[in-house]
Amino acid sequence: MKTYTYTNQQKLFKRAAKVIPGGIYGHYSPAPLVPATDYPFYTAKAKGSHIWDLDGNEFIDYMCAYGPMVHGYGYDAVDKAAREAMKNGSCTTGAPPVMVDLAEYLVKMTEGVSWAFFAKNGADTTNYAVMIARDATNRKKIIKFHGSYHGTTPWMQGRGHHGVIPSDVENIISVPWNDLEALRQAIKTHRGQIAALIASPYLVPAFQDNDLPLPGFWPEADQMCKNEGILIISDDIRHGFRINLKGSHAEYGYDPDLVCYCKAIGNGYPISACLGTDELKPVAGRIFHTGSYWFQAAPMAAALASLKAHRELNTPKKCRRVGEKLTKGLVEVAASHDYHLKVSGAPAMPYLRITSDPTLMLHQKWCAEATKRGAFFTSHHNWFMSNAHSDKDIEKTLAIADDAFGAVDKEFGSRFKGRREEE
Amino acid sequence: MNNPSDTARITASLNLNAVMRNLEDLPLYDPVTEEMIKEWNVSIRFLVRHGPSATLIFRDGRCVFDESNSEGARVRLWFASPAHFNSMVAGNGSPVPLTGFLKLPFLLNDFPAITERLEYFLKPTDESNRKPEYRALNTRLTMYTAAYALREIGMHDPEVTGVAQHIRNGTVCMQVKGGDPAVHITFDKGTITPGKGTVPDPMALIEFQSVDVAGDFLNGRTDAFTEIAAGRVKIAGQTGMLDAMTLILDRIPLYLE
Repeated sequence: MKTYTYTNQQKLFKRAAKVIPGGIYGHYSPAPLVPATDYPFYTAKAKGSHIWDLDGNEFIDYMCAYGPMVHGYGYDAVDKAAREAMKNGSCTTGAPPVMVDLAEYLVKMTEGVSWAFFAKNGADTTNYAVMIARDATNRKKIIKFHGSYHGTTPWMQGRGHHGVIPSDVENIISVPWNDLEALRQAIKTHRGQIAALIASPYLVPAFQDNDLPLPGFWPEADQMCKNEGILIISDDIRHGFRINLKGSHAEYGYDPDLVCYCKAIGNGYPISACLGTDELKPVAGRIFHTGSYWFQAAPMAAALASLKAHRELNTPKKCRRVGEKLTKGLVEVAASHDYHLKVSGAPAMPYLRITSDPTLMLHQKWCAEATKRGAFFTSHHNWFMSNAHSDKDIEKTLAIADDAFGAVDKEFGSRFKGRREEE
Repeated sequence: MNNPSDTARITASLNLNAVMRNLEDLPLYDPVTEEMIKEWNVSIRFLVRHGPSATLIFRDGRCVFDESNSEGARVRLWFASPAHFNSMVAGNGSPVPLTGFLKLPFLLNDFPAITERLEYFLKPTDESNRKPEYRALNTRLTMYTAAYALREIGMHDPEVTGVAQHIRNGTVCMQVKGGDPAVHITFDKGTITPGKGTVPDPMALIEFQSVDVAGDFLNGRTDAFTEIAAGRVKIAGQTGMLDAMTLILDRIPLYLE
């Protein structure tokens, strides 16, 4: 199978490195892609479930722009809605009327909420939710789970991270995920001081297996919080719309006070949302939180069209089906080469890891070789399935994965074959 | 943002255990230093109150850095505080000799000459950096310094002890392609044990394409993300360990200028 090269990309990156910190920053930084030189950095064109890089290489995209692409790149109904809205102005004085339609639609769609607030990025909403929780409870502390991610603002990043000072994180309590006893202890230790528990529906750390909630975890955690007047912020930014269209909390059995959405809400258009219960609406209304472009009509119109598409296409069902088909196939391909491929998290956004080599180097080699053959696999982050992924894509991906194992064998021989991590 | 006494203590530990430790390697790679110490037969123990202690043993043209609590040193130098030790390192203070008074001329003249030589190799200038052999030794010593500094900062700097404690167990190898120079750092339940040289099957690897790439990277002349993306620096394995290590290593300039 032919493997890709990236000549044009390196030329552009050289220019980029002179004028942009790190060349490409944030989660699009090539650094976590191992080795970076085997991956495309830039997308020149995208359509459906495929992207093309600067060198004309085509990839089946299992990252979906790290989540936002959910119906397919260039999805007509969403793009058309955005184009129509743009005809009447991009960022205007006065809020766009479509904002009300979107809020009504989203509130009706999401279980247990009565209002919606729109911004641009996920962190806009997690920050807002934390402000609401603190204002509503007159408490300072926030509980989060080890390895969780709720944006890059200083309160969320750990002590010792660049640009974070101790006072940024002094009111953040971190407890192990799925550990009810630790949560109970933290609540007891800081009784009367905890404003909120912020959590994703399940844990999606980088470089590690994803971790679904243990049976009974969420209902019990929910009750503990309610007993102590602690609000629950459901950070559904990554999971939202791929797990359950009523919100992932409806899937896992908890009853949040605030819900944060981004990524799959607008199929690539910049919009995020914070939703909440009726009781919190007056609090949400009195907190000043805004941004220059938060009232753009086009992303709101796109999001409305995208939400309708979610319902029409039944995104969670479709993503689960293609995710199950893909991961089952990959596990079988790995087994045919005598490797153990572990799949964790929900099938709609799986994390994969070859457990035969604890260092991950073999897994990284396989992901990189698959990418060089046209299936964009990351080794450090969960993947995302979309409504655009087809059976044909999966068939081709399995052939690529099989061929990539040939390259793995050349480098590692039989060293890790037959090995698997103890469960 | 540490309190001043924490900062002084960590700086003293870095100065002794990470920087002065390089006197072990300097004679192995620098003929000038080798010539300077070839006749030396002396051991010097540094004792810092509320701070680190270690012994430098010079014998047979070689130097050994001994962190164990050896009592047999002929010369014992006492420092009233980490700040006192740091001022001596900066050239502004003098130790209190507890034993080895007959060695005072050596301490005043000969020993400073090799510490100056070490400083020369650790502090590149535009001129010194033009010489390939200088760059090679600067890179080696800077890499060794980083490995041992990582232990001192990771285990004692309150800003990053939490980071260090959460690094998964295993050994990280940092090396120039080909395996020399190289260091390895083993993390085990919050303890950090550095060593020189490469190791087979590390849990994570950071490999520089050449000595010059390593030198530029370790001296902060290049940006890590750019170098990785350009393929001049390769990372592999449990790269989360490297991310955490970087948070610790990036604090070295707060203590060592």
